[in-house]
Amino acid sequence: MRSVYRALSGLILIGFVVQIAAIAAAWFQVLNDVDDGGVFDNNTRNWAHIVHAVVGAEVIPLLALALLVVSFFARIPGGVKWAALTFGAVVLQVVLAFAGYSVPGVGALHGLNALVVAGLASVAMRKAREADAKPAPPVAVA
Amino acid sequence: MRTSTRAAVAVVAALAVLGPIGWFWFDSLVTGTYDMAAMGYPDYGGGPATDHDHRTGIAVADLKGPSGTPDVAVTLTAGKAGSRYTLNGASPGPEIRAVQGQLIQVTLVNESVPDGVTLHWHGVDVPNAEDGVAGVTQDAVGRGQSHVYRFVAKDAGTYWYHSHQVSHEQVKNGLFGALIITPRGATRSDQVAMVHTYQGKRTVNGVPGISDISSSAIKVVNTDAGPIRIWVSGTTFRVTAIDGRDVHEPGVIKDQAVLVTAGGRVDLRLDGPGPARVDVGGGAALTAAGAVQAALPRDTLDFLSYGKSGFLGFDPDRPRRRFSYDIGRRFGFLDGRPGLWWTINGHLFPDVPMFMVTTGDVVRMTVHNGSGEVHPMHLHGHHVVVLSRNGTAATGSPWWTDSLDVADGDTYEIAFRADNPGIWADHCHNLDHVPEGLVAHLAYTGVRSSFQVGGPSGNTPE
Ligand SMILES: [Cu+2]
Repeated sequence: MRSVYRALSGLILIGFVVQIAAIAAAWFQVLNDVDDGGVFDNNTRNWAHIVHAVVGAEVIPLLALALLVVSFFARIPGGVKWAALTFGAVVLQVVLAFAGYSVPGVGALHGLNALVVAGLASVAMRKAREADAKPAPPVAVA
Repeated sequence: MRTSTRAAVAVVAALAVLGPIGWFWFDSLVTGTYDMAAMGYPDYGGGPATDHDHRTGIAVADLKGPSGTPDVAVTLTAGKAGSRYTLNGASPGPEIRAVQGQLIQVTLVNESVPDGVTLHWHGVDVPNAEDGVAGVTQDAVGRGQSHVYRFVAKDAGTYWYHSHQVSHEQVKNGLFGALIITPRGATRSDQVAMVHTYQGKRTVNGVPGISDISSSAIKVVNTDAGPIRIWVSGTTFRVTAIDGRDVHEPGVIKDQAVLVTAGGRVDLRLDGPGPARVDVGGGAALTAAGAVQAALPRDTLDFLSYGKSGFLGFDPDRPRRRFSYDIGRRFGFLDGRPGLWWTINGHLFPDVPMFMVTTGDVVRMTVHNGSGEVHPMHLHGHHVVVLSRNGTAATGSPWWTDSLDVADGDTYEIAFRADNPGIWADHCHNLDHVPEGLVAHLAYTGVRSSFQVGGPSGNTPE
């Protein structure tokens, strides 16, 4: 379970990297399309927008949920806490993404909170690694 | 803590997280075949709670247009090649023209569309069985099959037709055309401008870039999923009609853009005499030789105060029913799929209101959008009049509409007379939003369903 925990937190980190790359690519793609006489309207979504939407609204939330569930069984000191914080930050990230449609300024917080998600996931990953390095301590689920 | 206790705590914690999620998922599942009229919950709008039994009364299928020899008879053959849809080999399909009062007959033939097709007469208040909504007013027309639509061209105006089967895909990829009903004895020529974005390129009548302007009366139809802003260069102009209803004493417009919402139509009359150009965005325009393109004006015409007020024909201040159509957005499961979905009065589809009315009712509806995105709201079979927006009363010409641009944060008071019995979709015309849950229905007492969503015809109205 500890290796699964570690893998899941690592996948969330990879997801973060995919997301920042995809969203940058999406908007450069828009600039390029508009340059070619394309229109950017209500339903315009290019491949990179779709990657960002699927990874952000589906893949990462599922990974964060799985991390939380796995944390109950993984017996990592602080494991549940960091998984729960990661999950909370991911939920906040999705909320901020959609709040940004009404209040575009909120989009800035979405960008900043992405760093929080990445930071929390990397702490979770480190906790799993540290727990692996030490002999299994007799800790309670907490 | 002992290992067994620890394991038990972990299992309980996991169940506490996963259990509710699993229950919400299960609860959201919709059967493959269902009666649209039986979905959700009846909303009587504070009026008498009439009979909500959809198995008795007159059948939707019997609410047909008149028989007799048609004045205008058209055959439209639907085809699909790759991802493109055509009618009689073209997109947009043929422009159908009729004079007010004529009987129109359209034979729809499905040559090669695998999912089936229908035709909905957008903005025309046809009898219910002619409305063309798969699974509600007819079965989708399968490959090799045909279907006949018949209705009287009752009100002169600018309309359009489009498929209402897998409509978010079929309309986007070309299955639509114009329908123009001209007043009796009219001699004025006009030019129709169907605005559509094909694969990211905006076009007018299927042509990207600029096309020739051939009339001073331009009928703009927005067949896209989002609102567009149009503007005129080289002359002043007037908006003579909105959604097929004349504007009463329209004023001269200068340095203002006009918003045409998804599914909406606007008739323009260019004052001239100089060379004029009508831009629809994305570089697409109608233009006369020598016309110089002006920049998109910052200001947009507000229909709420445009034209002179006039007679409504009914009293909206004494409604029989008052409904609320409150659009929101939240996380949840829609037929088992997790995501952020549109809500109506706080509920996800299919747990949405069925607005129940009786023929003759005066109905008021408050449409509020708190969902973060614009929604062009389209009620089938009726025209509604706008009474106010965000508390500001309408002071211009009676603003009759069938496709209302409800921006994020806006609240509209609208009213209409329930004078067309049937079961009518009341949905967002950003058609991608319909499979995401933004559809409710208006149902009349004493009308029973004839069709089902799903079923052997694969009816998929959204
Ligand atoms: Cu919408």
